[in-house]
Amino acid sequence: MSNATIQNKINDTFLRRALKNFAAAYPVARAKAFEGVDFEALRSRIAQNKQIALQQMPDLIARFTASAERTGAKVHFCRRPEDARAVMLEIIRSKGADFLVKSKAMTSEEIDLNHYLEANGVRCLETDLGEWIIQLAGERPSHMVMPAIHKNKEDVAELFSKATGSDCPPDIPFLVQKARETLRSGFLEGQVGMSGANVAMADSGALAIITNEGNGRLVTTLPRTHIALIGVEKIVPSMTEALDVIEVLPKNATGQKLTSYVSFIKGSTGGDGHELHIVLLDNGRMDLAANPDFGQALQCVKCGACANVCPIYEIVGGHVFGHIYVGGIGLVLTPFFHGMDKAEEILKLCIGCRKCNEVCAAKIDIEGLIVDLRDKIRKPFGQTFMFGTMMKNRTLFHTTLRAAYLAQKPLQGDGGRIRHLPLMFDALAAGKSLPPIAEKPYRDLVQEKRFSSQKERVLFYSGCLADFVYPELCMDTAESLERLGYEVVFPKKQSCCGIPARYSGEMDVARDMARINLDVLLEQEADYVVTICPTCSISLKHDFPKLLAKESDYHAKAEKLAAKVFNYSELVARKIDFDSAQPTDGSLSGVEGRTIITYHDSCHLKRGCGVFEEPRTVLTGLVGAQIREMTDCDKCCGFGGSYSLKYPEIAREVLLNKIENIKATGTTTVAVDCPGCRMQIEGGLEAVGANLRVEHTASLVAQSLRRG
Amino acid sequence: MCDRFRLAAEAVGAVIKHFSCIGEARDYLMGIAGGGAVSCSTLPTHLRDALAIDASGTAVPADAVLCISRAEAGIAATGSLLIDLKGPEGRAATALAPIHAVFLDPTTIVPTLYDLGERLNRMLTSGDQAYFSLTTGPSRTADIERVLTIGVHGPIELHILMIEGCCHE
Ligand code: SF4
Ligand code: SF4
Repeated sequence: MSNATIQNKINDTFLRRALKNFAAAYPVARAKAFEGVDFEALRSRIAQNKQIALQQMPDLIARFTASAERTGAKVHFCRRPEDARAVMLEIIRSKGADFLVKSKAMTSEEIDLNHYLEANGVRCLETDLGEWIIQLAGERPSHMVMPAIHKNKEDVAELFSKATGSDCPPDIPFLVQKARETLRSGFLEGQVGMSGANVAMADSGALAIITNEGNGRLVTTLPRTHIALIGVEKIVPSMTEALDVIEVLPKNATGQKLTSYVSFIKGSTGGDGHELHIVLLDNGRMDLAANPDFGQALQCVKCGACANVCPIYEIVGGHVFGHIYVGGIGLVLTPFFHGMDKAEEILKLCIGCRKCNEVCAAKIDIEGLIVDLRDKIRKPFGQTFMFGTMMKNRTLFHTTLRAAYLAQKPLQGDGGRIRHLPLMFDALAAGKSLPPIAEKPYRDLVQEKRFSSQKERVLFYSGCLADFVYPELCMDTAESLERLGYEVVFPKKQSCCGIPARYSGEMDVARDMARINLDVLLEQEADYVVTICPTCSISLKHDFPKLLAKESDYHAKAEKLAAKVFNYSELVARKIDFDSAQPTDGSLSGVEGRTIITYHDSCHLKRGCGVFEEPRTVLTGLVGAQIREMTDCDKCCGFGGSYSLKYPEIAREVLLNKIENIKATGTTTVAVDCPGCRMQIEGGLEAVGANLRVEHTASLVAQSLRRG
Repeated sequence: MCDRFRLAAEAVGAVIKHFSCIGEARDYLMGIAGGGAVSCSTLPTHLRDALAIDASGTAVPADAVLCISRAEAGIAATGSLLIDLKGPEGRAATALAPIHAVFLDPTTIVPTLYDLGERLNRMLTSGDQAYFSLTTGPSRTADIERVLTIGVHGPIELHILMIEGCCHE
């Protein structure tokens, strides 16, 4: 993705405002729509049923085909997009027709149907309002559910004026009325109607179509021939599974309890001479369904929620963040539907915040699939040296980091922070200032020792960033844990957790790092392995067992380690509960004299580890602070490791949103549980001249325990 | 249940009226049709007869101002109506007319979509062909600047006429 294209979208003020407003309105509407519904249970059921369906895909296709043909419909199975296009042209020609009226179908965009048909003399008319706007503009949808979200009413007025030959003012009710009048003749004159379907049922051969505008019912009723173009993954065994999809889709897509119309169609009911053709599109789906690593992507019900909550989508929109399918799942499906060459650039655009995973209607590990797909991207020059040679060699890596301390000296401004960086590194500092690499990393400040007491034993795994940039945070961590009654040991041979390598698609390197750290961290018997960086926790706890799944000895070690890994706040929160010396019920949180702070949830802590209550318990119960929550407290700060280096323009905008929300709380302290978030937010606050301090929870605990 | 249905249906822009007899409903319908053509082709015969609307069902779907149907059931959680649309003419009328009025027997209202599952399944698995719809409020779009606008292709108004027993012959 060229940075100019990205910058273009960032500068598009209408797009930015539209997406920002939507990002703010969507969660509210969604929460309301799901009132009284157990979303977790619902999506687990969908995921489970879809999983089973994917395993039985060939059988389901056969059953659906047989049932649908019993109703009199004709079913055409098409392996490739070109097959589907040819079959549809053939159907249209066999009717002597040259005019196709369409309701919304992403599958049609997927196979680029309109261009093909138009080139073969068939006029195509999109009747979904958003799709019609896109068609008139000659563009592609920028959202799966709201295709024209990037167009403002002035754009639409101009397009409609041109299309209808009459002057259209930029007045939304007027424009909608205009579309109604103009498209109506299309329904009445169209010889063939085309729709998609949201779900197809194998037992009855019926389709269900979920729409709002009412055009679906018209294109399936008025023209004498109806063609439904459906991806084979839409087939479910029966109504039971279909109901869940119908229940979840409108709520998750637009925050509606149900759309205006859910139509169930079984066979042709259009009267004399009416035909129903069902075109089943494979386009790589059957292979994907059988793929053990990526098959779950097909569980997707195309609700678009993964785009709705994505902080990167919010900044650049779907023309950058996706190909035909947009949002998180768009990144995942593109390599399979359209080829890796179309996906390479967009796969790098995800910052890894996992917001999408949290709302996915089909419980897909979207972020995990994106990361795994990066393994398959061609590696940029130099990257392999960086990861393959340097990161694997701990001494070389750490020596390089030390050397960086000397190199940065002339660049430091007041207060020791770095504002000017040479050449390419300048991008990293966009919109923020960087903390310098410390003169002495934490590893040089502690003694290597072994466990010697009867106390509970904590192995401290600091992570590179804290070690080399925030050694005082590491000291605070060790000190506070000791004050809380643990014995703390820092094994000096610990090395990078491997996440930077994994996120860059260097899985072999990540595997090496996993083995190295497993040996180091299991060398002494400890009760807990404590991290202060949730990204490291994810790596240690979740990635190591996954990466080493095929090596039985190391896999066993990885499982053993995983059981001991705790985020700092998780472990410390337990201490409060056990001692119950400090109130944790928040009853004091309104008391005068308490420091008021705000808390930023790190993506990897909240959604990676499911930890978000514990830090708050620690901050109120142990530190004695009162928390004033900011808007979107769990939305990404834009750090994402090397992301801010690769896409500084985007990261900067994500950061500015965060800074705005922090400032609005009027507090003087932001607590975080991640050194990366600390660095990012600290830099952002300093760059805008805001006088707030950012502290890791461990430092606040240490300060409070020191005060006594 | 009836109240929950009303709240949900009104929240999506439907108009709800209670009537004690068909005659009352007839006056109301005449009022909203305003003298325009009426299509009754999705109505069961007994209702059509009881309403005795002149030329009912004969209007060309595209010209009807008002289309009158009967719901098989209602869903309280979403304010939705289950309407059988197997006949192509009646179906077209429900999608083309600017006003759609639907009779609903309040005793057929069920709490959630899932409570209709059995019935929907029966409607699909028995018989060779079927076409039915869950209708929730009037036709809507938010495709321009996400501003909710009613009545893009389908009905601009949805009136729900509640009469107990109206489903039975
Ligand atoms: S992980 Fe975050 S950035 Fe990546 S696709 Fe999901 S929501 Fe977007
Ligand atoms: S991946 Fe999940 S959230 Fe995204 S469109 Fe598919 S079902 Fe919806």
